[in-house]
Amino acid sequence: MLEVKNVSKSFGGVKAIQDVSLTANKGDIIGIIGPNGAGKTTLFNVITGVYKADNGNVILDGKEITKMEQHMITREGIGRTFQNIRLFKGLTVLENAMCAFDPLSKYSIFDGLIPTPRRLAEEKRGREICEHYLNVVGMLQHKNERPENLPYGLQRKLEIARALTCHPKVLLLDEPAAGLNPTEVKELTELIGRLCEDIGFAILLIEHRLELVMGISHRIHVLNFGKQIAEGTPDEIKENPDVIKAYLGEGEIKC
Amino acid sequence: MQFYISILTFTLISVIAVTGIYVLTGLTGMFSLGQAAFMAIGAYVSGYLVVKLGVPFVLAAIIAVIISVMVGYIVGLPTVRLRRDYISLVTLGFGEAITALLNQAQSITGGALGFSGIPKITTLPLALISAIACIVLISFLKNSKYGRQCIAARSDELAAKTMGINVPQIKMIAFLISVAVTSYAGVLYAFFTTYVDPGIFGWKKSAEWVIMVFFGGVNSLTGSIIGTVILTALPEVLRFAADYRTVFYAVLVLIIINFKPTGLFGEYELSLVNLLKRLSGKKEERANA
Repeated sequence: MLEVKNVSKSFGGVKAIQDVSLTANKGDIIGIIGPNGAGKTTLFNVITGVYKADNGNVILDGKEITKMEQHMITREGIGRTFQNIRLFKGLTVLENAMCAFDPLSKYSIFDGLIPTPRRLAEEKRGREICEHYLNVVGMLQHKNERPENLPYGLQRKLEIARALTCHPKVLLLDEPAAGLNPTEVKELTELIGRLCEDIGFAILLIEHRLELVMGISHRIHVLNFGKQIAEGTPDEIKENPDVIKAYLGEGEIKC
Repeated sequence: MQFYISILTFTLISVIAVTGIYVLTGLTGMFSLGQAAFMAIGAYVSGYLVVKLGVPFVLAAIIAVIISVMVGYIVGLPTVRLRRDYISLVTLGFGEAITALLNQAQSITGGALGFSGIPKITTLPLALISAIACIVLISFLKNSKYGRQCIAARSDELAAKTMGINVPQIKMIAFLISVAVTSYAGVLYAFFTTYVDPGIFGWKKSAEWVIMVFFGGVNSLTGSIIGTVILTALPEVLRFAADYRTVFYAVLVLIIINFKPTGLFGEYELSLVNLLKRLSGKKEERANA
C-alpha cells in the first residue's frame, strides 16, 4: 500500500536520511527504531510532505505523492501524530477532532456565515464521526474539555483520534509512548493493536521503548545516521549484530 | 444630544471594522497594518459613485465592497503564504501606497484636501443594524468549519496542514471576509461624515484596531467589541481633559496588556448561555463550600 523507495534528504551538508526504502501493506505494523538523530522523524516528514525528498519516491496505492502539497497528501490517506504533541489550543477536544473532518465537510462560505440546513446536517455528520473516533480511543467523556487541561496520556490519545478522523490508509505514529507512565503505555499498546485489527490500515511506528515496538510490530526497520542498517522481524532484529553495535557501541563487550 | 448620537454612530462603525479585524487577527492570527486602506477604498469608491456618477447608495455600497475584495484578493495572493511578521510588513506597505495614491490622484479624489459633498445617509439605526448583522454573521462564522480551521491554522500551522487543512486558502478566506467587512465600515463612515481625506486611513488607524482587539480579548468576539466600545468612546467622553486623554488611553492599554495578556475577556464569549452557566457554576461553588 505505502511504498517508500530509496528516499534521501539532506539539510546542507547533513544527510538526514539516505536511500531509505520500506513498504507497508494493509494490516501491517512497521516499527522504526534507531538512536537519536537517526532520521526517523525526518522520514515521517518526507512521507507527509513537510519536507520534499531530494531523491526517491513515496507511493501510496500506486499513486506518486512525493511532490504533493502537505494537505493533499493527508487527503490521499496519510494521517500522523507528532513527537511533541501538537494539538490546537483554543479549541475543545471535540473541535480538535472536527478540524480533521472540516476540510472534507461539504458546505460553502455562504453556509459558513448563516446556519443553513446543509451546514447543520454536515456539522452533525462530522460530530458523529468524531465522537465515534473519540469513543474508539476511549475519551468521549472528555469531549467538551480543553486539551491543554488533560493529562499527557489523554493528549496523546486525542492526537490519535484526530489522525483517525482523516480516514487514513496509513497511520504514522511518532513516539506515541513518549512521556507516558507504564499503565498508559500498556493501554496505548492495546489501542494500537486493536486499531490495526479493527480499522485495518497500515501503521508506521517510531518508538524508543523497545518493549512496545518489539511487542506489536510485525516488521522493524532500524536507522542509524540516516541509513537503514537492518530490517526484519522483531526476533531477527534482536539478534542482529549491527543493531546491537548501533545501540550499545562496540569494543567494550569483553568485560 | 446630537453629540452623543454622533459618538455612538462612530463607535458602531468602529465596531463593524473591528469585527473584520477580529476575523483576521483574532481567529487567524494575521496582523495587518493596512486594513484601514480597505476602509479608504470602501469610502472613496462608494462616495465617488454616488457623487460623481449618481449611482444609488445601496448599489454603490455593494460595488465598493466588491472592488475592495478584488483588491484584497490581489494583495492576499502573496501575503497569505508569508510568515506572520512579513504579513504586517506587506500590508503596511500596501496601506501607505493606497494613502499616497489618494493624495496624488487629485483630479479624482481631491488629493490631500479630501473628497467632500457626500450626502449624509448613514444614520444611527443604519449603523446599529449593520453592526448587529456583522456581529451575528461573524459569530456564526466563528462556530463553523471555517472558524475552526482558522483557529487551527493560527494555533499550529504545521499540524493544521497535516490534518488536511489548506492553510493558504483558509487564510485567504479570512482575509477577504475581513476586507469586505472593513470596506463596508468605510462606506458607512463616508456617508456619515460626508467628507473623507486620505490622512485618516493611515497605518495608525489599522494599528488602533489591532490594539482594540487585543484590549478586549483576542480570542473573544464579544470581548473585541467591548474593547472597541470602551476605547472609541473613552477619548470622546474624556474631551474635557483634552491634554491628558492620550495618556489615559495609553495607561489603560498598558495595564490590560500587563495584567491580562489575553485581553479583558480572554476566551470568554458574552452570551446568554455562558452567562447562565457562569451563574449556576457560582451557585454550585457556593453550595459545595
